[in-house]
Amino acid sequence: MIARLWRSQRWWIQRVALLPVHLFLFAIAVFFLVRLIPGDPVLIIAGSDDLTADQYERIEVLLGLSGSLWHQLMVFLGRVVTLDLGRSLIDGQDVQEQIAWRLPATIEIALIAMVIAIAVTLLLCIFAMLHPHNPVARFAAFYARSAGAIPDFVLGVAGILVFYTVLGWAAAPTGRYDAGLRPAPRTTGFPFLDALLSSDTVLLSSMLAHLWLPVLVLVVGSAPTIMKVLQRSIEHAVDDEATLFRIASGVPRHVVIVSVLRRASPTMVTMCGQLFGFLLGGAVIIEQLFAIPGMGQYAVQAVGRADFLALQAFLLTVAACVLVVFLIVDLVNMTLDPRRRPGVMVEGNA
Amino acid sequence: MTTATTPPTAAPATRRRLPGSASMVPVVAPLVLLLLVAALGPLLAPYSPIDVVAAPDQPPSTQHWFGTDIYGLDVFSRVIAATRNDLVVGLVAALLATVIGVGVGLFTGTNESRGGVPGSVARGVTRGLDLFDALPQIVVGLVLLAFFGRNLLTLSVVCGLLMVPTQARVVRTEVLRVRREAYLESARLSGESERGLLLRHMLPNSTWPALENASYIFGVAVTVAAGLGFLGVGLPPPTPEWGAMIADGATAASAGRWWSSLFPCLALAVTVIAFSNLAHQYLRRR
Repeated sequence: MIARLWRSQRWWIQRVALLPVHLFLFAIAVFFLVRLIPGDPVLIIAGSDDLTADQYERIEVLLGLSGSLWHQLMVFLGRVVTLDLGRSLIDGQDVQEQIAWRLPATIEIALIAMVIAIAVTLLLCIFAMLHPHNPVARFAAFYARSAGAIPDFVLGVAGILVFYTVLGWAAAPTGRYDAGLRPAPRTTGFPFLDALLSSDTVLLSSMLAHLWLPVLVLVVGSAPTIMKVLQRSIEHAVDDEATLFRIASGVPRHVVIVSVLRRASPTMVTMCGQLFGFLLGGAVIIEQLFAIPGMGQYAVQAVGRADFLALQAFLLTVAACVLVVFLIVDLVNMTLDPRRRPGVMVEGNA
Repeated sequence: MTTATTPPTAAPATRRRLPGSASMVPVVAPLVLLLLVAALGPLLAPYSPIDVVAAPDQPPSTQHWFGTDIYGLDVFSRVIAATRNDLVVGLVAALLATVIGVGVGLFTGTNESRGGVPGSVARGVTRGLDLFDALPQIVVGLVLLAFFGRNLLTLSVVCGLLMVPTQARVVRTEVLRVRREAYLESARLSGESERGLLLRHMLPNSTWPALENASYIFGVAVTVAAGLGFLGVGLPPPTPEWGAMIADGATAASAGRWWSSLFPCLALAVTVIAFSNLAHQYLRRR
């Protein structure tokens, strides 16, 4: 009984169990990366050469740089597992507290942009599939080809110039909401969601006025990457024998469309995982441009102060987010297409 | 026997197509222009790119073709001077990513299906590169630059390392395809050593797509470098660099003074589009 349950459910349990392994391996890689930093990190952090032996030792312990390499690694992994990422030596703030405060804000922007980008892509691609000679379809193909040609920050600067300076439609790029407004009470940690929940209409409308432009920039900058992939996989699925069979056997049009979309979707889902990484990187840049407090601002500050603990934590956090998204992508794909589950042998796909 | 087993390389076919093609001019002209500007940089710039030469925030005029920025630096001179820095980053990154990527791709592609230590190492490397590639490039680049110093060399190397997974994947896919080709089997049967197989047959047949891809890598590397510069974590100021210039001009742009941001944006866009066009139209074999 249990053996059968295990055999039928193994695919996702195995995949979920891999996540901590990946995280662990990544943490070890980061550990060695930090050890490769040229120069003495203690002296760089202290900002001066004249330290007493006592001070030197104290900073060394705080950075986890005391004892043998093996001892250091164990201390480091222990800290990562207990989510104790240390206290910044520069401003004395808890690193994990800062990240817990800033991460939701960044993820929120990336997620909103991702949902809109996916919706727009789906709509355009389906329209292009149904009306391949329509000018809109041609525009979509052209737009998809332009993937990656114009970086986010260029679009951002252009957006601010057009929509804020010239047209005056967007609010000033000076944060998440107008200065002087009080933030919503923190319930979920996601600022926009909190504002929605607090039903503070003034705050909410100010947030909308500030956020639509950065989100638009991210969507316009990132949509071509998934559009290119989806267009190709839709073309593939349309030319497929299964589609021809359905058309030949006279099933209704919408059934054909749904089947095409289902066969095109795994590629799309995989691409969405990459899109999330892409948007997270984009959000870091866009935050800087629109002065939105989030992970990007934190990282840029940390670079300026040579705050290695904060940067190490930043890298680990982003990696954890990306790995979780990849887990979700894999699970969704295995659900959509059982041939992708491990241990499933498929003809011609061994 | 040797002639029979020598693989037909794609290079001659492509070389034949290069001259005399009408579509050549729009693809190559911007590239030549960019390389010229990068090479002649200091000769073309009318002012010093790193010194204050005029009053700040002046609109484009006959003296300052692209205007001056918030500090009073000449935008035209800086755009010209930055070309060299950005192109160097792109070239070094593309070279580095291609060389390492070809090595890694050959190794993983040939060893992946083997048992024992090489097989597991190869599978581990492939998996590791996938994970590395999944991270936002700008985030990894930012942390690496902060750790290893902000100068032209680290910036180029970091941008190159970020693109290694892409190149390695391209080569690996190609190796997996080439492995099944008949000429490889006949070379093996004719007594070619493993090393000879790898160097004389695998290498020339599986690296062409990576070489095509190199110009795409170039564009991405320049974009990443400019993104890091934009965040203020790239080359330290006042080194001219397009990304940093766009960031400097962004505040001015939101006040309506568009010029100090627009021109570096245009330079960046021309570069990226020129090199990705090269990848798309020129080196395409199929």
